[in-house]
Parts: sequence; structure tokens; C-alpha cells
Amino acid sequence: MTTSIKIPAPLRKLTGNQAVVETEAETLIDLISDLDKKYPGIKERIYDGKEIRRFINVFVNGEDVRFKDGIKTKITKGSEVSIVPAIAGG
Amino acid sequence: MQANLNRYSRQILFSEIGEEGQKKLRDSKVVLAGCGALGTVIANNLVRAGIGELKIIDRDFVELNNLQRQILFDEEDVKRNIPKAIAAVEKLKKINSQVKLEAVVADVNFTNVEAVVEGAKLLVDGTDNFEVRFLLNDACVKADIPWIYGSCVGSYGLTMNIIPGKTPCFRCLFETAPLPGMAPTCDTAGVINPIVNIIAAIETAEAIKYLTGKFEALNKDLITIDIWEGSFEKFNIADRRDKFDCPCCKQRKFEFLEAKQGSSITSLCGRNAVQITQKSIGRVDFQELAERLKKSGEVTFNKYLLKFSIDQYEISLFLDSRAIIKGTNDFSVARGLYAKYIGT
Ligand SMILES: [Zn+2]
Repeated sequence: MTTSIKIPAPLRKLTGNQAVVETEAETLIDLISDLDKKYPGIKERIYDGKEIRRFINVFVNGEDVRFKDGIKTKITKGSEVSIVPAIAGG
Repeated sequence: MQANLNRYSRQILFSEIGEEGQKKLRDSKVVLAGCGALGTVIANNLVRAGIGELKIIDRDFVELNNLQRQILFDEEDVKRNIPKAIAAVEKLKKINSQVKLEAVVADVNFTNVEAVVEGAKLLVDGTDNFEVRFLLNDACVKADIPWIYGSCVGSYGLTMNIIPGKTPCFRCLFETAPLPGMAPTCDTAGVINPIVNIIAAIETAEAIKYLTGKFEALNKDLITIDIWEGSFEKFNIADRRDKFDCPCCKQRKFEFLEAKQGSSITSLCGRNAVQITQKSIGRVDFQELAERLKKSGEVTFNKYLLKFSIDQYEISLFLDSRAIIKGTNDFSVARGLYAKYIGT
């Protein structure tokens, strides 16, 4: 089972400029670990060891994972995973 | 139609606004925090749209690399070394003399933020760092003033409305600032002007809806846009307010307002520069200081600003004794230069 995750531009430095990354993970935490295998360092950026970092929001199919099952939120085929980091420029 | 509303005829014809909406705009006071890329576009739009009063607060002066995206400034402003808030107000006066304009040249920090937002019907965000947004969020939630967050970097931008008591606040979404080095800045990612324009345009549209009382039309989501890819997404964040025990809007602990030590030294986005704010020195006598400094390096000054170049550094000193030190990101180097040449 493969799911595509869109990497927002501000985090793409970590994925060698890849905008879309494929994963076979079935939960959010597995997805993050899988990403980190391909792009070392990205896990540290979005995960603090316990939960998603507090300046990053993750939505699965438009729903805030913080109010689903957090990092254990299920990812299924065709799930749309969106990562929204805080940015400050202006 | 009242004679002084004629200039807004095309906006009044838009049925969602009408003459009644236009009068509400005219009776509104807005505070704009930050007058850079987003801020100049927002100020231009709001003044042309005919709000009654606009207070602009900004700490910077106009530089050549601003002109690529900061629409109210020109080469003349760069040559004159003038603060952005002053340059913006000069330009805006020519655009619409009916609007009452106020320029404040200062850094927003915990000592003045509550005074900055006081009396505003709405605050619009044109700032460029996290710390000031947490401060504005605290001050606005505390005083029950709505504000509109907007931000962009590269070709990517975010915006959301914060209506205290009704929507999640900024801290509901972003509880802490990213650790240093963890968020892209204008230094690392640059910024192109179309994303500035589109985020500022959304902020303006939301401001007009709010000020004309069209609350049901307000955006309730977190909007993300990537103008290079042509993506526009909206995320439903309504749950945040109910389900998250927010330190700011739920517990009403205004931690940024109360951070008594504040931060008096900050790194400036995109500039290889550091800002030093002094709390209680008072106003600087440029004439006297220039006399002293001209033995050590090149010095120029005007009514608002003194510039001093020494080695690879450039110190810009404002009347309130705040300084921007260019040529370094190192706080200790910056502090050293300040102590050596400006004093304290
Ligand atoms: Zn909140």
C-alpha cells in the first residue's frame, strides 16, 4: 500500500527538494520514521520524541491529528497527509 | 451618496459592502503591525478602500533590497534613509487624504504592545518574526481585539483570522515558536512578490469583511498557498478552540506579555543583522554622537536615523536608541559594537 505525502515548500530542503514522497506506512509515526530513513533529519524537525512538534500541524484527510489518535493516527491508501509548519516571514 | 464617498463608488456598488459598509469602514481604526512586504500591500489596500484611521508601527528603515516587494517605497526613500513607517505614511497621504494616518517608529515588545493595540477595532499582521506575533496574540486576546495573521516565505504563505472568544488563537495553532534554525527564513528561502501580494490580499479581504460587519463571510480556516505550484488549501481548525487547553485564550495566561525580561536582542530575517533594543536610555542626540563617531568611521544622519560604518559592519541607530547592526548574526559581536561605539 502506498500513500503520497506532499511536503510543503518550507520543509523541502530536508527532502532534497522532493515535493511528493511515497510511503507504505500505516500510521503517522511509522510514516515519519519512514520519511526519516529516506531523508535523515526530517523526523527531528516534525517530531519531538513524544508528539508532533508544537509549531507544526499535521492533517490527515483534512482532520487535525492532534484530535484523532495523534502520532498513532491511521494512514490508509489514498489518505491525504498535509504538514503545515509555522512560518514567520512577512 | 455622500460627496466624500464618491471616490469609493465602485466599492459601494459591490452589494456586500454598499454605502452602509463604506460608512462602517470610514468609522474604523486599524492598527498595522509591521510595514514590510505584507504590510505595505495591506496599508495600500486599506487606505484606498477608505478605512477611517490607520496606525502603522514598524522598526526598520527602507533599503534597496526591499523594493522588489514592498510596494509603497522607492529609490528616493532608500537614498533618504527614512524609516518605513514614515515613508509609508508620506506615500499613503498622497493616495487618500481622507484617512487619518499615524506612523510609529518603534520595535513592538512587551513594554509597548498593549499600548500599540489599544483602541483598534482590528489589528492586521505585517510582521516578520514569531516573537512579535505571540506578543500581539497575547495583547489582542487580552483586550478582545480581533487580528489577522499572515506570513510568507519563498512561494509559500499562511493566513488565519483570530477572533478572540470565537475562533482558535495563534497559540492554539502554534503553541511555541520553532527552535532557532528550525524554520526557514528570508535568508534561507528568499521570497517572491506574488505570494506577498496574495497573502496580503486575503488579509485585506478579511479585514474589509470584519470592518463592514460581514462576520458570516469571514474565513474560519487555516489557509495555505503555494503560488509556484498553484496550490490553495484550507484546513478546518475550529476544533482547536474547544479541545485544546490553550495557555493564552483558555487559561488566559499571557506569558509573552509578562515575560518581564523581554528580549532586547534579536536576529533580523534576511539581513545578516541583529537588532539591539535598550530600555531606558531616552532619546539620542545624533549631532553630538556623530561628532564623536566621525573619528572612527563614516557617519551620516538625518531626523530619524544615524548610520555609522566601521570595518565590515554598519550600525543604524534610531532616536529611541535602538540599533540595527548589519554584517553579523552574532549577538556578542553586535553587543560589543553597540557598547563600544554607542555606549551603555
Ligand atoms: Zn488559544
